[in-house]
Amino acid sequence: MESSEHAAGTVRPKAATGFASPAGDYYDGGIDLNRHLIPDRTSTFVMRVAGDSMAASGISDGDEIIVERARAPRPGNVVVAVVGGELMVRRLRHDGGGGALETDPLPPGEPAVERIPGGFDVWGVVTRSLHRL
Amino acid sequence: MSGHLFALVDVNNFYVSCERVFDPRLEGRPVVVLSNNDGCVVARSAEAKALGIRTGAPWFKLAPEAERHGLVARSSNYELYGDMSARAMEVIGRFGAWQEIYSIDESFLGLPAGDEAAAVEAAGTVREAVRRQVGLPVCVGVAPSKTLAKFANHVAKNNPGFDGVCSLGSLPAEQLRRLQERLPATEVWGVGRRSGEKLEGLGIGSIADLRDADPAWIRRKFSVVLQRTVLELNGTPCIPPIDERADAHQIMFSRSFSQPVTTAAEMREVMTVYAQSAASRLAARGLRASVVTAFAGTSRFAAGMASNPTVSVPLAAPTADPIEIVRAAVSALGGRVAPDAAYARAGVVLSGLSPADAPQQEELDLFSALGGDDDGHGAAGGAEAGPELSDVLGRVKSRFGQASIGIGRGGLAEPAAWSMRRQFSSPRFTTEWTDLPVVRG
Repeated sequence: MESSEHAAGTVRPKAATGFASPAGDYYDGGIDLNRHLIPDRTSTFVMRVAGDSMAASGISDGDEIIVERARAPRPGNVVVAVVGGELMVRRLRHDGGGGALETDPLPPGEPAVERIPGGFDVWGVVTRSLHRL
Repeated sequence: MSGHLFALVDVNNFYVSCERVFDPRLEGRPVVVLSNNDGCVVARSAEAKALGIRTGAPWFKLAPEAERHGLVARSSNYELYGDMSARAMEVIGRFGAWQEIYSIDESFLGLPAGDEAAAVEAAGTVREAVRRQVGLPVCVGVAPSKTLAKFANHVAKNNPGFDGVCSLGSLPAEQLRRLQERLPATEVWGVGRRSGEKLEGLGIGSIADLRDADPAWIRRKFSVVLQRTVLELNGTPCIPPIDERADAHQIMFSRSFSQPVTTAAEMREVMTVYAQSAASRLAARGLRASVVTAFAGTSRFAAGMASNPTVSVPLAAPTADPIEIVRAAVSALGGRVAPDAAYARAGVVLSGLSPADAPQQEELDLFSALGGDDDGHGAAGGAEAGPELSDVLGRVKSRFGQASIGIGRGGLAEPAAWSMRRQFSSPRFTTEWTDLPVVRG
């Protein structure tokens, strides 16, 4: 299979310098983002953000986020929370009782802790923001 | 003696639960999901059942009252249900010695026998994992036979005290007896209304009566199938893996292999054959499908790696076209066959079924006319694709793309606007980049 001849339309990476690729003898066509961004296809979801109140955390209006349901939420995580039936992206804060949600806007806004009277559920933990430049 | 207990895991109100994952406002409200074209109710939330809404109720009759009851309707969104089913089935399969997918929302799972506490714990773990990872609520029934696992599942589902998990081995004998005396024999898996009436006439009214009936006598009076049911109710597993199933909701075709299947190429052949079998049953019943689910599983007895991939492929529009169905099944498992696994079993489930309606029927008539059926009775053979034409279509499609040629409307790149009414459809949250759930930032 491996030969020095150029197969039409195929570009093989040269094993030039630096580290040996663990997949060096098996070139399967490039980087598969699914493999790196979706650790478990059963529990990983993609959502789209509307609003800028998390912009200082790198999540802007129109960005897609990767949400992992299998991961246990910890204080400090950015999460998708269910607040009054609505899905919301916020930073989870420890707050004695059931926790609180915090926004993280760009200046001149100020981070604001929102205490949710009826409590809230965590839908999933946000692991990545696909930020549009 | 079997080395396994049977767990039946099934998703509560599956279609409605899928809608609720992405629209939590629907939690606690009466919700119904409508058939293709928004005709009638195919799924109901517990709250909708409590309102007395029946499966099959025409939506136009419910609509005037909907607002007063806070009733929400959703068009069936098989893209979403198919994807969520595949996720749930895959999670469930990770916890068993073997898995037997029974429908889009039900799966049997093998748990080690002999340790009741461990089985109960495993059942609870499965329930929690599906809830957490996929967002769907399931109930689990655990028992020494499939029929009893179904019964245990029924108990778990209808008695909130069980918290969604019922293992018959943990039930005090007295309580089990009372439950089986209270429930009619027709609640038993596989006992239909007709058999139920006949049983009733012979003095067998409850599940307990059926359990205590003489199996040989039941065989004489009814069938070997009902005899098996009696044996299963007594804890002797004797129902083989379910190979075929066809009801109002789905058509399933699956088989165990005589030789393990170990390569992706072989699996493609298997899928081609099984999907065709499923498609011809679909056509014979005059139906179209919206989702093709393909699955494969390794043997519970094999020492090698366990692999139970399940993949659902939504179809662009409901279809009975065997070519499309085969393609969907083959592509579904394409990338998911593990190189080191020896598969013992595979199958295809067709779901989201709807009658082939008027315009579709015309196409089929045209199809059969083209297929050389010129005896003037085209409609009779219309549902079966002529092999020559299928072959030609298949070759053209593989060369020029899926939308290049098709039968009637099937040849258009986009399904016609009239092909399906989906007035209340939720977005295809998990399968379309343009339809992602929106979260407030």
